[in-house]
Amino acid sequence: MAYIEFKNVNKEYKMGEVTIKALDNTNFSIEKGELVVIVGPSGAGKTTTLNILGGMDSVTSGEVIVDGKQVNKLSNKELIKYRREDIGFIFQFYNLVQNLTAVENVELAVQICKDSLDPETIIEKVGLKERKGNFPSQLSGGEQQRVAIARAIAKNPKLLLCDEPTGALDYKTGKQILKLLQDTSRKEKMTVIIITHNTALAPMADKVIHFKNGRAEKIETNEKPTSIEEIEW
Amino acid sequence: MKKALLKDSLKEIRNTYKRFISILLMAFLGVGFFAGMRAASPDMITTIDNYFDSQNVYDIQIISTLGLTNEDIEALEQVEGVQKAYGEYSEDILINYEDTEIVTKVLPIDDINKVALLEGRMPENKNECLVEKTFCSRTGKKIGDNLIIEEADDSIIKEKEITIVGTMNSPLYVSRQRDTSKLGSGMVSYNMYLLKESFDSEVYTGVYIELENSKQMITDSEEYNNYIQEMTKKIEQIKVQRETARYNQVKDLAQEKVEERETKLKEEKTTAENKLKEAENEIIEGEKQLKNAEITLNNKSKEAEQKFKLAEERIKTAKAKIKEEEENLKKEEQNANAQIQLLNKQKQELQANLQSINTNIQQLQNKLDKINESLNSNNLTQEEIASLQEQKENIENTLKNIKAQKAGLEATLLSINSGLEQIQNGIKEGKEKLNDAKTTLENNEKELNKTKELTNKQLERAKQEINDSKKQLEEGRKTFEINKAEYEEKIKEAEKELSDAKQKIQEIEHPTWYILGRDSNPGYSGFMQDTKSIENLGRVFPIVFFVIATLISLTSMTRMVEEQRVQIGTMKALGYNKAQIASKYLLYSGLACLIGGSIGMIIGFETLPRIIWMMYSMMYVIPNFVASFNVYFAILGLGLASVCIIGASLYTVLKIVGDTPAQLMRPKAPKAGKRILLERIPFIWKNLSFSKKVTVRNIFRYKKRVFMTIVGIAGSTALILTGFGIKDAISDILIKQYENVYNYDMQISLKSDLEETDAEKFIKTLEEKEEINKIAEANMTSGALVNGESEEAVQIIIAKDEKINELIHLSDRKTKKGVKLEEGKIAITDKVAELLEVKKGDSIILKDADGKENSVIISDIVENYIYHYVYMPKSLYEQLYGKYDTNVLFVQNNVKDNQEEELASKLLKEPNVNTVSLSSNMENVMDDMMKNLNYVVVILIVSAGTLAFVVLYNLSNINISERIRELASLKVLGFYDKEVYDYVTRETAILTSIGIIFGLIGGYFLSIFIIKTCEINVLRFGQEISILSYIYSIAITVIFTLIVNIVTYFALKKIDMIESLKSIE
Repeated sequence: MAYIEFKNVNKEYKMGEVTIKALDNTNFSIEKGELVVIVGPSGAGKTTTLNILGGMDSVTSGEVIVDGKQVNKLSNKELIKYRREDIGFIFQFYNLVQNLTAVENVELAVQICKDSLDPETIIEKVGLKERKGNFPSQLSGGEQQRVAIARAIAKNPKLLLCDEPTGALDYKTGKQILKLLQDTSRKEKMTVIIITHNTALAPMADKVIHFKNGRAEKIETNEKPTSIEEIEW
Repeated sequence: MKKALLKDSLKEIRNTYKRFISILLMAFLGVGFFAGMRAASPDMITTIDNYFDSQNVYDIQIISTLGLTNEDIEALEQVEGVQKAYGEYSEDILINYEDTEIVTKVLPIDDINKVALLEGRMPENKNECLVEKTFCSRTGKKIGDNLIIEEADDSIIKEKEITIVGTMNSPLYVSRQRDTSKLGSGMVSYNMYLLKESFDSEVYTGVYIELENSKQMITDSEEYNNYIQEMTKKIEQIKVQRETARYNQVKDLAQEKVEERETKLKEEKTTAENKLKEAENEIIEGEKQLKNAEITLNNKSKEAEQKFKLAEERIKTAKAKIKEEEENLKKEEQNANAQIQLLNKQKQELQANLQSINTNIQQLQNKLDKINESLNSNNLTQEEIASLQEQKENIENTLKNIKAQKAGLEATLLSINSGLEQIQNGIKEGKEKLNDAKTTLENNEKELNKTKELTNKQLERAKQEINDSKKQLEEGRKTFEINKAEYEEKIKEAEKELSDAKQKIQEIEHPTWYILGRDSNPGYSGFMQDTKSIENLGRVFPIVFFVIATLISLTSMTRMVEEQRVQIGTMKALGYNKAQIASKYLLYSGLACLIGGSIGMIIGFETLPRIIWMMYSMMYVIPNFVASFNVYFAILGLGLASVCIIGASLYTVLKIVGDTPAQLMRPKAPKAGKRILLERIPFIWKNLSFSKKVTVRNIFRYKKRVFMTIVGIAGSTALILTGFGIKDAISDILIKQYENVYNYDMQISLKSDLEETDAEKFIKTLEEKEEINKIAEANMTSGALVNGESEEAVQIIIAKDEKINELIHLSDRKTKKGVKLEEGKIAITDKVAELLEVKKGDSIILKDADGKENSVIISDIVENYIYHYVYMPKSLYEQLYGKYDTNVLFVQNNVKDNQEEELASKLLKEPNVNTVSLSSNMENVMDDMMKNLNYVVVILIVSAGTLAFVVLYNLSNINISERIRELASLKVLGFYDKEVYDYVTRETAILTSIGIIFGLIGGYFLSIFIIKTCEINVLRFGQEISILSYIYSIAITVIFTLIVNIVTYFALKKIDMIESLKSIE
């Protein structure tokens, strides 16, 4: 059994009288330590998939298994615990707490986790040693995203979920962020899932899942993923 | 407004109904409170105005020092603008009830100041009356029961027994306060109404005037007051003339009376003097007669004496004569006896002779016989015969001789015998005669003695009689002297009286008319004062609400506008102008304001004045409260609310709408985090836990919201505390008065007609009673303190001795140290000192119940809470006003609380006791009254609570929506609901705490302000708010905070992480 299993997952949203099918019988699996890139156009169900994986959303039907845990059956509280202990999230807009400094933002995550990593070390790892005492507003977008990544990985999660992590960043910065993610996956043996609409990024992943109309249409596996530095787009 | 825009606006309301409602609620509270509080005072005035109109209460009252007459009334009715003038009476009487006397004021039923009949019927006879309902409840008397009026000499009420036929309310006494009285304890307890006919007086005590057109005006309005002033001036024009007329009338009448009395006195004098003279004459006559009688008696007794002397002499003479004669007779007798002896000798001789004769005769005879015999013998010779014959013859001759001798003898004997008899008879006769004379004399003497005795007796009696008469006469004289002295005294007195009366006529003061408006009626003026207090309250309270409402609307609308930046930008980009864009938000807030405000207004107008009225109805009896819809305050309230709320919206919209569309459509950068000052103090900062650091930093991040929260919470807490504070202030009065000031358990008032010695005796027996611990004697009377223009009614307590200090705790109001009454000075209570603006050491005018004024020095200003008192030592009172009598006893007893009643009723049975009032009862009665005050507290707490809730809810909503991304991030990070909640509410808790602290401070000052504003003249409200009230206020605010927090908890739980984090709109 794979580390992560997505089996026949359906997700419907009811907007008044209209029912929108976000996921339509989606199936895929991910192995532990894999760097996965999910690509696809807007509205294909990428974010929904990520939300479900992250325990932020429920499924209408189907099974989601993460490290043997049947996520779709978890109660609300268990979901929070799951998010708290197993998941690290990275968003397009960083979602840092503005009132906390870089290192404090990491601390915020760390203080609720059991086997967390040392915030200072992590901040150093993401290359923000010099700027750890700065508030988000005093940091650039890339730096903010580094803080977000630091915050996510400081929890030592089983799964790092990144929703368009470079969406709001320029090319160079975006690349640096992706590098950080790739390195983290490799070095920490962390399962990382990155959502992007940029198909050019596909080669960097161990596995690429193509989404379309709420389905995982195509799943490719790169035997030899390319280092992000080598990818140009 | 374009159709699409309108639709959008209405949809906006539906989507953000919570925000809409919170603005609506702010408008509701703001306008409701404003309208309600402001309308209360006019409503109260309207109510009393209606009541006064319906009872035809006077506009102007005239009182004259010499009373008023029908001529005065006629003159008054001539004054232009006077509708009608009514002459009125009033008289204080004592009603006997069980063992007490109830001071009652009797007033006439009339067409002015009409009483409102509550039960029963109006009186139809002179001996029927209407009483107050409370009179019935206190005495247990019912309609149909009779009342006994205590007789008083110069009372104008002549009925002795009257029947209750109904109960009433008098419009002249809308408050529970009654007038002062010269009877009893100095206060009227109840009023009573009788028919006008029951008053027996030619002079009216006052005149009430009904003015034309006054009913169309609202009482105490400027219009009305001006009218009254104008009319007072008009009446003043006839004042002097009428006063003079009355003066002359009274003077003339008095003169007439004096003259009448003078003539009468003269008449009386003459009659009395005549009578006296007569009596004197009688006495003199009697004396004369007595003298005559005495003389007569003397004469008579002298005469009698002479007569008796004469008679006695005569008797003496007679006696002497008798003696002489006796002696004579004795001599004669002796002579006679000698003769008799002689005669008897002769007789014996004779008889012896006779006997010898007889023997001779016999012998002769014998010889004769023998001769005869011998003769007769035939044998005899003649010679013998012849010798015999011769012998015979011889013998016979001899015989014859002898016989003749014998006859002679016998004749001699016979003559001797007769001579003897004659002598004897003569002596016998003489003796008899003498005896007769003697008897006669004796009889005469006896008779004389008898007569003498009788006469003497008679004389003696006459003498006695004369003596008696003499005594009587003497007594008569004495009585006459006394009467005369008495009469002289009386005449002197009468003359003195007459001259006094004459003097008095000279002293008759020129009467003064007092032309008074309604404001001289204590109930009415008190009520008007209270409406002013309410008006002041109405000015202050709503401000708090309006300020908070404005702030809340401001934040809400700011938030709303900020949330819709992009939309506004889009609209701008689409070409809508500023006005059109703004119109949406104005419509939004305008609708909320209008709807909320209208509902608030209706509820406010309807409820608040009623509740305030309810509170005041414990002090006033005015029926038919009118809660009116006050257009002025409606418009003003709504206007103010609109200015605040719509203005706030306009301000925020205009601030944003000036930006370019591009700026607007870009997300507004989240508020930057900043280091705070506290971080620069490492030893504090380092010791804070991570979450506390976050909290502290957050607090300083959203300054506006923090400010709002603190202001909102502070405002609410302040209002709640004010509610409790007012309650404390008032309930404090009781506790302080009855526990701090009054040390006594009961107050006994003694019967008014008690003799001094009886009172002393009674007090002594009381003191000896086991149940009684301490007694202080005092005289309680009513009076007034005057300083310049201002005058305040007070109760004067004249302490007999220093014992008063043990039972009434007189302490300096500031230092709280006990004070003693100083000789020659008075102590006054703090509130009256404040009202009259006097201080320790000042001198002030003290007026007693009779209006006698004296200037006295204030030695101390003492703590007191209910009513005004003047304390003075007996010596000063006697020096200034005259004799002191104990009429009140302050008593501390030894019995347990539950036995006090028993003791009181036992004491009440004592004949000397008029009333016994227990401090505990008084406290209970007042406590009941004050329970009504809880309404205020409830209103304040409910409205302040609602305010607190709305503020907190709103702010918490804003807090959440403002930081929704942050909170969603936390959730994504795996914060449990509780942890997210703590993250947010830790801030709220701190802000609430700060708000509470400010609120308590603000509430303290607000309470003080309101207490000062509402303070009733005769009460000193407590200035301290109890710890408990602070605790309650805190608790209530905390409870509201917790409720809001619970709501927040669910709101936080509901935060949709995906939606919130999806993108920045």
